[in-house]
Amino acid sequence: MLLLAAALVAVSVRLASALREHGGEDESRDARSAAIECIMTRASVRAYTGQPVDKNLIDTILRAGMAAPTAANQQAWAFVVITDDSLKNRIAESFEYTKMVKDCAFAVVVCGNTDKLFDGDIARGGFWTLDCAAASENMLLAAHALGLGGVWCGIYPLADREKTLAGILNLPPNLTPLNVLSFGYPAATVSPKDKWQPSNIHYNAFK
Amino acid sequence: MKILDKLPAEIADNKAFNNILTRVSVRRYTDETITDGQLTAILHAAMSAPSGVNKQPWEFIVVDDRALLTRLADALPYAKMAAQAPLAIVVCGNKERMLPGDDANLWEQDCSAASENILLAAHALGLGGVWTCLYPHTDRMDATRRILNIGDGIVPFNLIPIGHAVAEHAPMAKWHIDRVHFNGFNG
Repeated sequence: MLLLAAALVAVSVRLASALREHGGEDESRDARSAAIECIMTRASVRAYTGQPVDKNLIDTILRAGMAAPTAANQQAWAFVVITDDSLKNRIAESFEYTKMVKDCAFAVVVCGNTDKLFDGDIARGGFWTLDCAAASENMLLAAHALGLGGVWCGIYPLADREKTLAGILNLPPNLTPLNVLSFGYPAATVSPKDKWQPSNIHYNAFK
Repeated sequence: MKILDKLPAEIADNKAFNNILTRVSVRRYTDETITDGQLTAILHAAMSAPSGVNKQPWEFIVVDDRALLTRLADALPYAKMAAQAPLAIVVCGNKERMLPGDDANLWEQDCSAASENILLAAHALGLGGVWTCLYPHTDRMDATRRILNIGDGIVPFNLIPIGHAVAEHAPMAKWHIDRVHFNGFNG
């Protein structure tokens, strides 16, 4: 717990120093801080209160997903929302890393739609994976911004996981499930990991 | 802004949510440079992304050398705007931190989440950028490897030029309710 608290302080201090030099009106500075703080403080939330999430709020989070950029603006995605308890249970029981789905308020399965790929894209290993991943990050950030929490559970590119999930959700062959995003109101505050690694940064060449 | 019109005020006014919905691809930049503080915030946002089994398989090459930006723009078909940008970030995957077996390719998704965070942070700071794909095109990846001296252990993923937008852009309307399905696929 002390470690987590220390990590949160480290993140906050760095955020403050990163934002300190920005001028402008107070309101615009607040907006900048709020948006960046949301990105820096997002954490994976795997335990939920059990409080249901309003359908309009689910839609709001999906809007953030569809605001992601896509290669050649192909938007080759589909979003399968799970609120049904028996489906939640089946997903929770079917994979090693999706146990929390049993107790989530809702889950979203982000799928690539291979019928909508632009000419330069391919069904496996192509751009749609990246597009759907960006959409997934947007949804996790939006959930965090709106007081919810979520966690990303990988499905693609493991064929057996994809097949199992496609079966549970009755997906047509053109939809490939990328992941399961599990959402709910956090049962407890989860501190963000401090993942700042200056050694990951290189200037003007790889060193 | 039009894209936020139909949302309840308390949601449209949520600064972090609003930032996600109003992000746009920015391809034309003024001469104004990016400060060290802005760059730090953007890179910190990038490294705040989730990653499979917390592998953090990413590396970030910051390019602000004018000659290198010009060479990249010349070599890459969809990154011409890099020649005018004050800076570009090349997001890469590090093979040493990729998962074993079939899950190795999860790094693509991790680097995508980090890239989206870069674009969102830039937008939040009043800057703009655009995601230009390198991976999985080997010709674009090889050209980038040569120009930035990237070895075999590192996989160039994309190139994101960032700068101050010449003009404001309205976000595209991409909300399509027909892409949403409840409790299984229903046509």
